[in-house]
Amino acid sequence: MKSIAFAFLFAAAALVAGDDDTFLIRGATVHPVASAEIVDGFVLVRDGKIAGVGRVFTPPKGMRVIEGKGLHVYPGMIDSGTQMGLSEIGSTRESVDTGELGKFDPQLRAEIAINPSSEHIPVTRANGITSVVSLPMSAGGGGGGRRGPAPSIIAGQAALVHLDGWTWEEMDILKSAGMSLRIPTILAPAGRGGDPDAPPALGGRYSFAEARRNYETDLRELRDFFEHARRYQKAKAANEKGFRPDLKFEAMLPVLEGKEPVVVLAARERAIRDAVQLADQQKVRVIIANPREIGKMGPELKARNIPAILGPTLELPLRDDDPYDAAYTLPDQFFKAGVKFAFGSFDNEFSRNLPYQAATAVAFGLPHEEALKAITLNAAQIWGVSDRIGSIEEGKWADLMITDGDPLEAKTQVKQLFIKGKNVDLDNKQKRLYEKYMNRP
Amino acid sequence: MKRLVVLLLVAASALPAQGPAAVAIHNARVVPVSGPVIARGTVVLRDGLIEAVGADVNIPADAWVIEGDGLTIYPGLIDALSTFGIPQPATPQANGAAAQQPAAPQITSPLATPGAVTAANPPARGPEDRPMTTSWVRAADLVKPTDRRLNSARAAGFTTAVTFPPRGIFAGQGAIVDLAGETPGQMIVADNAGEYVTLATSGGFGGGFPNSLMGTIAYVRQLYLDAEHYRIAKQFYAAHPRGTARPDYDRALEGVLDAPRVLLPATRRTDVDRMLRFADDLRLQAVLYGLPEGYRSADLLKKAGASVLVNLRWPEKGRDTDPDEPDTLQVLRVRDRAPSTPAVLAQNGVKFALYTGGLERRADLLREIKRALDEGLSPEDALRALTLSPAEIYGVADRLGSIEPGKIANLVVTKGDIFQTATEVKYVFVDGVKFEPVEEPAPANARPESAPPTPEPQGEKQ
Amino acid sequence: MKSMKPFLVACLFTASSLAAPPIVIQNATILTVTRGTLTGSILIRNGKIEEIGERITAPADAQIVDATGQFVMPGIVDCHSHIAADSINEGSVSVSAMVGIEDVLNPEDIAIYRALAGGVTTANILHGSANSIGGKCTVVKLRWGKDAHDMIFEGAMPGIKFALGENPKRAGNPSGQRIGAANVLRYPATRMGVEDVIREAFTEAKAYQQSWKDYNDKVARGEQAIAPRRDLKLEPLVEVLEGKRFVHAHCYRADEILMLLRVADEFGFKIRTLQHVLEGYKVAKEIAAHGAGASTFSDWWSYKLEAFDAIPYNAAIMTRKGIVVSLNSDSAELMRHLNDEAAKTMKYGGLSETEALSLITINPAKQLAIDNRVGSIEVGKDADLAIFDKHPLSNFAKVEKVYIDGELYFDRNKDLADRAVHEADKKKLLDKERELQRRAAPGAVRRPAA
Repeated sequence: MKSIAFAFLFAAAALVAGDDDTFLIRGATVHPVASAEIVDGFVLVRDGKIAGVGRVFTPPKGMRVIEGKGLHVYPGMIDSGTQMGLSEIGSTRESVDTGELGKFDPQLRAEIAINPSSEHIPVTRANGITSVVSLPMSAGGGGGGRRGPAPSIIAGQAALVHLDGWTWEEMDILKSAGMSLRIPTILAPAGRGGDPDAPPALGGRYSFAEARRNYETDLRELRDFFEHARRYQKAKAANEKGFRPDLKFEAMLPVLEGKEPVVVLAARERAIRDAVQLADQQKVRVIIANPREIGKMGPELKARNIPAILGPTLELPLRDDDPYDAAYTLPDQFFKAGVKFAFGSFDNEFSRNLPYQAATAVAFGLPHEEALKAITLNAAQIWGVSDRIGSIEEGKWADLMITDGDPLEAKTQVKQLFIKGKNVDLDNKQKRLYEKYMNRP
Repeated sequence: MKRLVVLLLVAASALPAQGPAAVAIHNARVVPVSGPVIARGTVVLRDGLIEAVGADVNIPADAWVIEGDGLTIYPGLIDALSTFGIPQPATPQANGAAAQQPAAPQITSPLATPGAVTAANPPARGPEDRPMTTSWVRAADLVKPTDRRLNSARAAGFTTAVTFPPRGIFAGQGAIVDLAGETPGQMIVADNAGEYVTLATSGGFGGGFPNSLMGTIAYVRQLYLDAEHYRIAKQFYAAHPRGTARPDYDRALEGVLDAPRVLLPATRRTDVDRMLRFADDLRLQAVLYGLPEGYRSADLLKKAGASVLVNLRWPEKGRDTDPDEPDTLQVLRVRDRAPSTPAVLAQNGVKFALYTGGLERRADLLREIKRALDEGLSPEDALRALTLSPAEIYGVADRLGSIEPGKIANLVVTKGDIFQTATEVKYVFVDGVKFEPVEEPAPANARPESAPPTPEPQGEKQ
Repeated sequence: MKSMKPFLVACLFTASSLAAPPIVIQNATILTVTRGTLTGSILIRNGKIEEIGERITAPADAQIVDATGQFVMPGIVDCHSHIAADSINEGSVSVSAMVGIEDVLNPEDIAIYRALAGGVTTANILHGSANSIGGKCTVVKLRWGKDAHDMIFEGAMPGIKFALGENPKRAGNPSGQRIGAANVLRYPATRMGVEDVIREAFTEAKAYQQSWKDYNDKVARGEQAIAPRRDLKLEPLVEVLEGKRFVHAHCYRADEILMLLRVADEFGFKIRTLQHVLEGYKVAKEIAAHGAGASTFSDWWSYKLEAFDAIPYNAAIMTRKGIVVSLNSDSAELMRHLNDEAAKTMKYGGLSETEALSLITINPAKQLAIDNRVGSIEVGKDADLAIFDKHPLSNFAKVEKVYIDGELYFDRNKDLADRAVHEADKKKLLDKERELQRRAAPGAVRRPAA
């Protein structure tokens, strides 16, 4: 009963706050991320933007004040890899819009397919996540949160959105945050991690030669596609006679011009090497997504300033012989290699657990402040929006969460959440069911 | 004489003796296996049997004499788990042996592709449908002297194979087969070597029961329980036919009840442990086969007093693997240590026989045997594991496996040590008939892809 | 003879522990779960917890483990796991009760070691969820390095898996996911059919039970008779009817949960645990009345339709409504951080620290009826312990050491030290193999892998 009463208080607080996007939070420990924490500090929000951060501030008369004594203020968290709004129920085909048919679909735009009424949005933001990258991935539309086989290579344009808005237009931060590209891979053999009924083999049982041929074909097609796009770019610039617009190549222009990064899904060292080669050969900006190892690629990535979106830390090692904590220590390996990284859940169901992925990395060596950066400021910098989100700094949008503790700890509660200074409702389907059935007579 | 003619037809490269009643090889080094080596001795063969052996044996007047200077006489080698003698189909997936079984045409489908579901062969709904079972099929009924592999097997020194129908969970009853003869019937030494069990599965949810290893194990268990119940019910019915419901005839159970022993696959130590417990639970007379991890299973085998058949085809690195993804340490260790299995078993007093795993070329076999010798297996133990030990395991040591008077005249005569690559196999005697082996060049299409369906522990391929 | 085996195994274990010196874990924060929290020491002897206290005089021969600043909790018990087995699903039939995990335990599954490294010491290894009535289950201790049968939790009640809802009816759905080429539909295709399969099976089991009764009666009367054919599919169901085997039922929706409870009532048996039971919160009253335990996820939802009403407050609601609740993994990955999962119940539904820890220790132990042996730190219980560097309900915590029966099965320092050794071993073997291949005559016939 206590917790229900608590939930009601919550709603009440939200009412007091109203929709007014000008207010002061004071008396809280402020964690700007971009700078040192301020104990007993304030955050001033004016017209949805952060107008000041510091130790002491006397609010003008009539300004709404949120007392933050004993509480903490953090920037809202950013999940750099989700299928938010694109997939509702992983196993139900009709509710999944994550990937189209076809091998090269750069013209597809995730943003326009984001369902602003998705139940995942309020569930996710209730834990302090204020914006996400929605990434088209895997063909056939199936799979959703579950990663399945992905024959498509260029899956479309990822969108960076706020987890608040009546329409996807209102949610928009970046329409084309990056081009989602699955680097062709030599598929791993079946066995562990595949069919659980397949016991370990005493040797290879799959045709590596065949897998490599497919991989080489895919790579060649990918190079050809870039080549065609570049010719298109030249033809268009030259205004050649007979030039006809082509939506696929048109969508590639921002990529070729370096305005839009390519988000390259690359799990293994070999795939990361191919991704780096793609960056070199095609002179495009690359972001590595969901790597599962770093191997010897650290210096290569660092030298080119190629950042990474790390997938879940709570993963099994790739191989039986890998250290049990291979995935746990991966963020620290990236950090030590000097590669900039953010975290992505690569999921919807567990997007809300983003901070705990970061926390496990801390348990296994990553400095705490780096973990926090990886779910806030680093993400904003990687996506090129650090002028607007990612830290508590004057001039940025007031994407803020007020918590009763470290957001990386599961027991911590998010007390209030602001997106562009607007107090966001923390209620969701799950809380409603909780209240309803807790009260079942 | 009839015999000679057929043999000439069958095996052009073999040169059978002129068919005297007796053959004597004298002044040869004799390795009887059952007793000490005779540095200079004589072996006399008559009517397909060994008549005499020793240092001071009189050569019968009617004997065809072979000068044995510089030669060594060994008992003929026995391939303890084989398909030699069952002609192999042209396409690996079709099982010609079964297809040639007019008496049991309905078994062809499950044998051809175990678990293949067709309108005529709906998926099994449980043990009652006897999935992938041909327990009643006898290798003795499938053997033909025309199997082209007999030549090369003899050339490698083999005179006998324990041959099994290769497919299915209960594949069928093995036979002890001499690797020459005019008719299939002449080749059979024993027609009930044991039931060959693989742990095959139907593969996939649509394929019917069983589609998992544990399903297969449960099925094998149920079948043995059913067999025991069937035996009692038949006995009871025989004693009290009046007023008793007649038990339904069940060929699957008949086949199981006929077998004096069962062969169970065991790849890893875990499988050894599992199969020993399984056999113990059901009180089965079991012989384990495979054993690449026999080197780390000796304690279990010794405790259980088990006999095993060790596959000489040591596990090898896959030929077409990803160079960036090396095998696991565990797999590497098995590949490295597997050839030490015979030595370890010998040290621990575990009875074992070796089988070729389908290898028939002498060079291939010697390479595999050498790896075992390099790991400390004595040549004497290696020889025993290819002669007397398999004969003992299969209960035919009274007629095969050593050079003793009265035993079947299966010999291999070499110029030098049998396990040396440079050694020439001069003669092979099968049932007293002499062959001078000429090893055939491997047919271009013979390997490796079209290697015969070797009896392998199929549990790992479920 | 057969019934002697567990006893013999137990003796062997005790014998091996007898040889080991006692262990004293000192200066730790001890989360006993059932007896509060204290700072002090634990004395382990013969594989058992002999003494717990703020001050313990270590025996002269004791091995001292300094756990200053560290936290000791009972080894984690996972009530739903699929590791350590060579096969999981016999999916070909709607009732696969004849199969059992015990037949295919694989003690060399690396997932065992990884779960140990997450503090898990006991797991209920379940058959999969492809069938309305699945195969038999086995409770094991994660005694990494031992043979299969030495992993089995001595004396633990065996179980059987049931499954309701989407998974068992998938094979009956024309557009459903099926493995294998054959386009054969398997009954059932609906939740109605799932109930039918279970009722049919138990009707059959009752008849089978009766046939043995009749036979035994005949024998008792001195009449001649043949024993009925032993039916491995029906035997476990008779054991369920006779209370000798626990039912662990995979379920999601409230309707199917209620259905199963009523079917069990009808046939006179109990559901020991409802597994996943994501809508258990909707029928918590009925579950509590039946006396079933509930083993759920912390926060899984939306991966399929029947999981769309799943809420992370499920464990808390069911706890408050009087059900013995546990959190399980169902995953070799999740199994490695069940402590993190438990922590979430403090956020979602406000469970206390002790309640949260109970979900992964004493409660699953109760569900498996092994709480007399494991699940809490109490004198006389098995010395199954996990030592964390921080409070295990902190997401920053990691496991340092894990003991089972007083034997050290995971030690992070040793793991770190062994890595280089393993690397070197591997390199040596790879080099050796390469050399062997190089020396092989170039013309030598190569052959496919064994």
